[in-house]
Amino acid sequence: MQVIVCLKQILDPEMPSGSFHLDPNRKRAVPPPGTPPVLSPFDENALEAALRLKDGQGAKVIAVSLGDKLARAVVKKPLSAGADELVLLEDPEWEDLDHFASARVLAAAIRKIGEFDLILTGRQAADWDAGLVGSALAEELGLGCVTLARKIEVVKDKVRVERVAPDGYEVVEALRPCVVTVDSELGELRQITMPGIFAAKKKPIQEWKPADLKLASPAPARCELVDLYLPKRETVCEIIGGESPEEAALKLADKLLEKCPA
Amino acid sequence: MLLDLNDYRNDMKRCARCSICKWPPLAQMKSWRFSQNCPAISRFNFHAYSGGGRMALGLALAEGKLDEADEELSNIVYRCTACGACDSSCKYNSELEVLWPIYATRARLVGAGCFREEHGPIIESLRREDNPLMKSKSERGRWAEGLDVKDLSKGGQAEVIYHAGCLYSFDPELSKVARETVTLLRSAGVEVGIRGAQESCCGSMAFQLGFQGEFIKFAESNIDDWNALGARKVVTSCACGFGIMKAVYPLLGKKMKFEVVHISQYLDELIREGKLQLSKKIPLRVTYHDPCNLGRKSEEYVPWKGTEKKVLGQLIVREPEKTVHRGWEGVYDPPRDVIRAVPGINFVEMERIREYAWCCGAGGGVKTTMDDFALWTAGERIAEAQSVGAEAIVTACSWCERNLRDAAAAQGKKMQVLDIVELVKQAR
Repeated sequence: MQVIVCLKQILDPEMPSGSFHLDPNRKRAVPPPGTPPVLSPFDENALEAALRLKDGQGAKVIAVSLGDKLARAVVKKPLSAGADELVLLEDPEWEDLDHFASARVLAAAIRKIGEFDLILTGRQAADWDAGLVGSALAEELGLGCVTLARKIEVVKDKVRVERVAPDGYEVVEALRPCVVTVDSELGELRQITMPGIFAAKKKPIQEWKPADLKLASPAPARCELVDLYLPKRETVCEIIGGESPEEAALKLADKLLEKCPA
Repeated sequence: MLLDLNDYRNDMKRCARCSICKWPPLAQMKSWRFSQNCPAISRFNFHAYSGGGRMALGLALAEGKLDEADEELSNIVYRCTACGACDSSCKYNSELEVLWPIYATRARLVGAGCFREEHGPIIESLRREDNPLMKSKSERGRWAEGLDVKDLSKGGQAEVIYHAGCLYSFDPELSKVARETVTLLRSAGVEVGIRGAQESCCGSMAFQLGFQGEFIKFAESNIDDWNALGARKVVTSCACGFGIMKAVYPLLGKKMKFEVVHISQYLDELIREGKLQLSKKIPLRVTYHDPCNLGRKSEEYVPWKGTEKKVLGQLIVREPEKTVHRGWEGVYDPPRDVIRAVPGINFVEMERIREYAWCCGAGGGVKTTMDDFALWTAGERIAEAQSVGAEAIVTACSWCERNLRDAAAAQGKKMQVLDIVELVKQAR
């Protein structure tokens, strides 16, 4: 069995609030020094799902990451955790792709990999939280898609998924190959160990460019980021006094009526 | 934001490559054998590994002349215990910052995702388990099981809180020191509380590795917790914790309603006040190893912002005046006074002491990820202790103790390594 896991490098969603700033020209958040990018936590859940399948039933796990300036210490983490191969889709052209363009590039890479039984992604990336790439990827590849998995089993030619529902979970079966997006309820990625890191140094890493995928030009963006800003909250405080509490109360009532006429 | 490489551009530009950072000041040298002060340049013998070399690397990074993702660059940057000896030596006759540009270089690389893969599990462990040792946080308070001490994780407040630190909490050999500390404080009449399983790392490891965002979370959380627990005094055995709490926590701008005290200072105070009496003779020839974080790195760091003017064509005058951290205000005398208070002890100094002390080799994440370098550095210190005829090295830092003990065992050297608390306990 061959399982492909898609993992996105994102800004650390747990960085201290107020420590980053926004670049209005590039419309992006800029982290402070000393805050590295991380893999999206939901994608780490997906990797954990793949590794559990590997542990339980035996599988080859291939991790795929897409973007530009991918930090090696970050994107190699799946290999340290137990994945068998890493495919890096890295090119300036692939920086800041929208969800559908990302799905198109990932689909092309997965077609190039060729053989697969299951494709896993996180339920959403923890930067934009759109949750579109998994489903769009299934659409690109013409495969079935099950979202919000909390448990995944492979039974003969089917994938059985416990899918998170508002009041519990439902069990869904899909023919494989298919795409499954994974929820945090599946569990955290296992602890990386030093032996795991040293073992990872011998594992194969492939780096593909647009030409390797025979992608002539980037797909036109279907989503446009119009603006990115921190909402401004202004608080104005006015002390309403008076000779007596009654007088202060009357003045307050007048002020309120003035601001919010009946 | 604490660490921005751009803040140190002028310091890095003014480094004259004089190499004074590689040696203790001439007036402090006592022999050729122990005349070096920087473990990295002594071991790897190439300028890039020295304080000055690191300034050149930092400047090149700040000016965009170096590829951040280069693995060899990462090797050089992290083969350094961040002990600050270069900084103290440089400031013997200058005002340049050396240590903080080293920290800022790391933060710059980490921000670009160019940290060492081996640091990933350490940071992951901090995020999940509140310690850098990959131990379960539920086991943190176990060292105190059976002790008569107020566990604040179960409620209540305390004016004196003992912060054991990660290594004293989890290392089976060293957690004895934490137990003995609480017993000593109780016997001296101190109503001490501990945070049990709720105690968390001080963030020093994250800070030194350049993971500034992670550090800020731990520091702010610790300050809030100690304030909320009504602490007036936070006593710690962990020199790394002490150093970071004294030098860096105040920069976060949060009100610290408590005083931070190292156990060596508190023991010294209790002995002077007659609350702890040492009566048993210990006829041992001992020396004292200054932990970097208790000594030169524990001075409160005051970042300088202002204007620089060149006068007489070469001298730089700063407005406002810069607070220069030369390492002189570290904790040096209290541990020595405690040792001298032990009856029968024969205390002898090594050659490199106080702000010019040789590092044990464990700092800056080196012990966790480059143990061979850490052990070599500790071996040099043990050789120095042997050269003055010491039978035991007394120190006051869990990481120094762990590394010195490991080195003595690995190199087959006959040298006892004692925590200052162990020494006091034996003398009671």
